[in-house]
Amino acid sequence: MITGWRRILLDKGVGPLFLTPSLILLLALLVGPFVYMVVVSFTDLSFAIPNHTGNFVGFDNYRKLMRDDPLFWDSFWTTIRFVTAALSIEFLIGLSLALLLFHSIERHRIILTLILLPMMLAPVAVGLMWKLLLQGEFGMLTHYLREVGIFGAQTAPLSSYTLVLPTMILIDVWEWTPFVTLVLLAGLLSLPREPYEAAIIDGAGPIRVFFDVTLPLLRPIIALVLLLRGIDAFKEFDKVWILTGGGPGSATELLSIYTWRINFRNWDFGYGAVVALMVYLVVLILCSLFYKAMNLQQGGAK
Amino acid sequence: MNRAWRNFAFGVIIVVIVIALTPYFWMFLTSIKTRAEALAGSPLWFFRPTWEHYPEVFIHKHYLPLVKNSVVVALSTTLLSLVAGAPAAYVFARQQFAGKEDLFFFFLTTRMAPAISVVVPMFLLFGKLGLLDSLYAVILAHSSFNLSLVVWMMRGFFEEIPPEVDEAAQIDGNTRAGTFVRVLLPMAAPGIAATAVLCFILSWNELLYAMILTAFESRTLTVGIPGLVTPHGTLWGQVAAVAMVATLPIVIFTFFVQKHLVRGLTFGAVKG
Amino acid sequence: MRGHESVHARHKVSRIWLSLTLALLILAGAQQALCWSLKEAAEPYRGVTIRTIGEALPPLEALDKLKDKFTKETGIEVIIEQYAHEEAVDKVMLDLNSRTGRYDFIIQPHRELGRFVENNHVVPITQFVENPKLKDPNFHPEKELYTNLWKEISWYKGKPYGYPFTAITMFLWYRQDMVNDPKEKEGFKAKYGYELKEPEDWQQYHDMAEWFTRPDKGFFGTAIQGKRHVALWYEWLNFLYSFGGDVFETSKGYEYGPIIVNSPEAVESLDYYKGLIKYSPSDTLNYDWDGVMAAMQQARIFECIMWNDATYAVEDPKQSTVAGKMGFGMVPQGKGGKVGQVEGWSYLIPTGSKQKEAAFLFMQWALQYDQQLFQQLNGGASPRPDVYANPEVQKLAYTKAALQTMEVAKPKATFPESPQVTDILVLALSDALSGQKTSKESLDWAAVEIHKLLGDRAPMKYPVK
Repeated sequence: MITGWRRILLDKGVGPLFLTPSLILLLALLVGPFVYMVVVSFTDLSFAIPNHTGNFVGFDNYRKLMRDDPLFWDSFWTTIRFVTAALSIEFLIGLSLALLLFHSIERHRIILTLILLPMMLAPVAVGLMWKLLLQGEFGMLTHYLREVGIFGAQTAPLSSYTLVLPTMILIDVWEWTPFVTLVLLAGLLSLPREPYEAAIIDGAGPIRVFFDVTLPLLRPIIALVLLLRGIDAFKEFDKVWILTGGGPGSATELLSIYTWRINFRNWDFGYGAVVALMVYLVVLILCSLFYKAMNLQQGGAK
Repeated sequence: MNRAWRNFAFGVIIVVIVIALTPYFWMFLTSIKTRAEALAGSPLWFFRPTWEHYPEVFIHKHYLPLVKNSVVVALSTTLLSLVAGAPAAYVFARQQFAGKEDLFFFFLTTRMAPAISVVVPMFLLFGKLGLLDSLYAVILAHSSFNLSLVVWMMRGFFEEIPPEVDEAAQIDGNTRAGTFVRVLLPMAAPGIAATAVLCFILSWNELLYAMILTAFESRTLTVGIPGLVTPHGTLWGQVAAVAMVATLPIVIFTFFVQKHLVRGLTFGAVKG
Repeated sequence: MRGHESVHARHKVSRIWLSLTLALLILAGAQQALCWSLKEAAEPYRGVTIRTIGEALPPLEALDKLKDKFTKETGIEVIIEQYAHEEAVDKVMLDLNSRTGRYDFIIQPHRELGRFVENNHVVPITQFVENPKLKDPNFHPEKELYTNLWKEISWYKGKPYGYPFTAITMFLWYRQDMVNDPKEKEGFKAKYGYELKEPEDWQQYHDMAEWFTRPDKGFFGTAIQGKRHVALWYEWLNFLYSFGGDVFETSKGYEYGPIIVNSPEAVESLDYYKGLIKYSPSDTLNYDWDGVMAAMQQARIFECIMWNDATYAVEDPKQSTVAGKMGFGMVPQGKGGKVGQVEGWSYLIPTGSKQKEAAFLFMQWALQYDQQLFQQLNGGASPRPDVYANPEVQKLAYTKAALQTMEVAKPKATFPESPQVTDILVLALSDALSGQKTSKESLDWAAVEIHKLLGDRAPMKYPVK
């Protein structure tokens, strides 16, 4: 029987005790570098240009971002388009699949493992894998799409300014829809039965049940999966970088690729920090909105 | 559910599985083709397989130690994240205090940190601490994003366990900490398994932190992949071989904890 | 007469003394030359380990095989880290800037040299060269290396910072078997009015690209490295130079000067370059070096401009279906006459290196004939003329063309901002190729951006309205 101060620590003091390790880790690993980033954003720090050793430059970097960097804003809107399209498609297909699996198939285990395969491979390898499939001369998929007539004889998705972003979106859909399906299925599996029984007693058909019972109950989970996917989609880098490097032109220049260029090509950390902070801000705002929606609904569902 | 609906559903599932698997299958075939066969204008489905790429990349190019590094990093970061994160999740699940949800949201925001910018101060910091020659730097960096995942998932699992269980354990004379260790953890074991698998996957596949924060001897397998895209040609056979080896452990793990994975991803947002 | 005689006698004596002294000195010098041995020079560093980093390609792999020879003689262990092109540069930048002193010497692309020097990250090798304990008296780099290559790759603002690891250039690849095919010769002559042969100017290059483009047979005249990637910049430079253009109007790589990248010649070269897209395979805008290489290896194109150090891959029967059918020549000429470019990776010694002397000894040793020959026969690109004179090397099909091109190579910008300039150009070129902008628009944009980056040091010679 533990007594004395040790008991108090392990009993009443469990909150701080249990929170401390993770908070220390996060403070050291993330908050620290984040603060560094903010500080650097006010300097001219560059590894490449001599004498740019971190001298204070006030808001110069911020001004440049707001007024003098059309490339940043182009990549911003490209990313918004990418995230919106990918998320919508992943959600629609994911929800349909989840419903299908929920209503009809018992043997989930093997099927789910197989369906989950796309998200298990490293994104950079996924990029290379799709290059192998979509390449204009030896790509397996391109070959068959041309034979079937969906592609013209000289169509090459990775070289086409108009086709390349939709192609990236579809690859993302392939890679992450399983994840969305999984989360939504889990959500469906844990829904309470009572509302359904009540609805059936009321004589509601399947469509009404879906819109009036399933969807509202599922809303927190939907918000959650969109939140998680949204954050990750915004940070998308690996596969786009290895497939197109942002091209042709700037067609696939996502924010993460642009940030990488500033930081690891130009080695311009001062400006790179502002770009990164801007991206972080956008994601933060979007997530806060979603989170609020999720919390509100949680209160409602209870 | 009637017959027609069943068949339709089955058909759709088959199509989905084919879509999910075909790229992998093609990658596997590529790993046993010669370069000329892999780059053939008409896709080759039948050919005499060659297994040369596997020893070429894992033995001649010394990629085998990279597998070991990936395993060590992924396991360590999973362990570290669980040890630091599960107790924190418990606090969010069971305790009340002012600003609890805000702090919880803070944990989520740590995932939003753009790795590209954070990695450089991390590099400088770890450099000063002399950690760059070992795997510690990457393990810590990966834990930085796995931690929030652990806290989020485990909170849900703990919240699924009725508080009566806690009360019973405390009547038996356990401290809260004791209850956590002796009662809650074992009950949440499936959730821990699911969380562990996700952490493992995310770490195993991660590229940027691993690339910047590892020394040559401590590279992970994922870092070795871009190295096979050379100015003298992408070594497709070797890329495919590495991809195959990289996916295998994860597939095996996932198959075994899959049931718990499904439950785990509810994140406790909807109560049963 | 006595005094006169004695003066004469004294002169005779002093002359004897002089000759004796001279003889002794020469003997001593020869003695020292005979005396200097790598083993002795390395004695103070025995047991030390030196680490370097470079690009994971055949020359470095060959060096990795050679290094044991060095270790046996000196007792100095050598670790060679091999990374992909970009990672090799990134890791060095991070190491140098964080002053971790991880690398005792580095092998880096020469375009990064300006950045390193201006930021005091590397030291000139003069201090080692002037140290008789370290310098091998039998090694005379100023005579034994191609001077223009050495100066371009390893010198900056008049000081040497190392020795070239590889000196490579781009030149013409084409299918010689098709050029020699009688049916092709007949048809070509009938249509264009001159003999089918190795294309020597851009008009011929264009005609042959057109002639050989047969999409229904899956064969194309040429392929360009059109992906948004540094390969695009390298390739376009060939066109830019031979149309009489350049990026800056300077004579030295480390000088800033007027921007002429949007000159009429430059625009013309980009228009011509764009025109080649229709004679290229469908995915040419996603090709970097790998794409064009694969296209040639798989017998899909007739001609292209590629690197000389990649020729072993197209001549290797295990991976290429056109091995033995290739011909190599200089880049076709335009208004600019015979021009080429030089690209190289250089041995360099970081300021933070903890084993500078041992590293220098290794560098010096690696530049000797035996080591260079081994590297050359294993995919290297040596800066030594005697290596190219070796009969084995002469047998390699691409040696002659490489030599011709290297003789007329133009210097590239090496000041610290040059990689950023390259990035701007890559985007501009990619925009033009994808059809988003005209050649003039994209080069004008590039000129404006470069001027913004460099300021008054680089005025625009062709201002944009």
